[in-house]
Amino acid sequence: MQDENDSKKQPGWIQTIVVGRRPLATLVRILVLVAVCFVLFTFVLLPIRVSGISMEPTYHDHAVNCVNRLAYLRHDPQRGDVVAIRFSDPGAFARPHVMLMKRVVALPGETISFHQGHVYINGELLDEPYLKNPCDWEHGPIECGPNQYYVVGDNRSMPFEYHTQGLADQRHIVGKVLM
Amino acid sequence: MKIAGRLILVVILAALGFWLYTVFFPNLEKVVLKRVASLAKTVTVTPNDGNITRAAKVSSIISYFSTDAEIHVEGPEIGNKSITGRDEIREIAAGGMANVSSLSVQFDDATAHIGADKQSAEVDCTARVSVKDSKDFGIQELHIQLKKIDGDWLITKVETVKTLQ
Repeated sequence: MQDENDSKKQPGWIQTIVVGRRPLATLVRILVLVAVCFVLFTFVLLPIRVSGISMEPTYHDHAVNCVNRLAYLRHDPQRGDVVAIRFSDPGAFARPHVMLMKRVVALPGETISFHQGHVYINGELLDEPYLKNPCDWEHGPIECGPNQYYVVGDNRSMPFEYHTQGLADQRHIVGKVLM
Repeated sequence: MKIAGRLILVVILAALGFWLYTVFFPNLEKVVLKRVASLAKTVTVTPNDGNITRAAKVSSIISYFSTDAEIHVEGPEIGNKSITGRDEIREIAAGGMANVSSLSVQFDDATAHIGADKQSAEVDCTARVSVKDSKDFGIQELHIQLKKIDGDWLITKVETVKTLQ
């Protein structure tokens, strides 16, 4: 009789695999996991897929990455950071559908110019070890206003006017690309 | 237990009532955003759309704009272009519809601001356009102005916005 009762209490192996020994606890765990993932991937890490070749060879077309939205809570973007820049503002709690991925080369108040494909900040040559493609750009000088960062891609082999680049307002910078 | 059940029922009914209210009486922002999203759907064409469908789409596109609507576009490949009035928009739309096998248009991250008079609105959005089922797409930030004319929200001005200065 006792054995019969025990076998009734023991869940079947299929149930154990699918919902666990205690379905209510499993449900709670699932709900917590969903909530954590929602908060994490909406407000902290934005999953992105790279589209285009403007960040080659650092980031390849169709590569998957993440944007850390909290990267600039304690400090401002630094030179060399690869950042995600939004277009229109979807609202404080919404995640942008499309963003630009660019590298910060000049900070607020600095003057940037391109000469023979090299970047000059306030007249001094900027060392850019991440550049692999040839570049012959001649442009500038351009002065960054307060809260403005000059951003550009790593692939500068195309003509200057066909490469999306320029001054980005700090409020447009969503976060730092993680990897 | 009975009280708790009744309370849950009341909460569910209140939520349902609120949802129905927002369906039947949507706020103006939602109406305007729906109108703009509907334009994107109308502009989108698939290879299966025949000439008659495309002609109907051109007529439909025109109905979204006021008679004196202006479109200002600026880009590295197209330079500065301005289109003024429904006739010019019709001409451009008809030419575009005839020349592409498929065109996909989406307005993402759209936000609407309603004027104090509740007769005008401004929409900021990011247009994502791809041609011929290509996975690559063009992206452009847009600023759209609308006015309520004879009960309909009509677009009076569309202009591209430079995200990077």
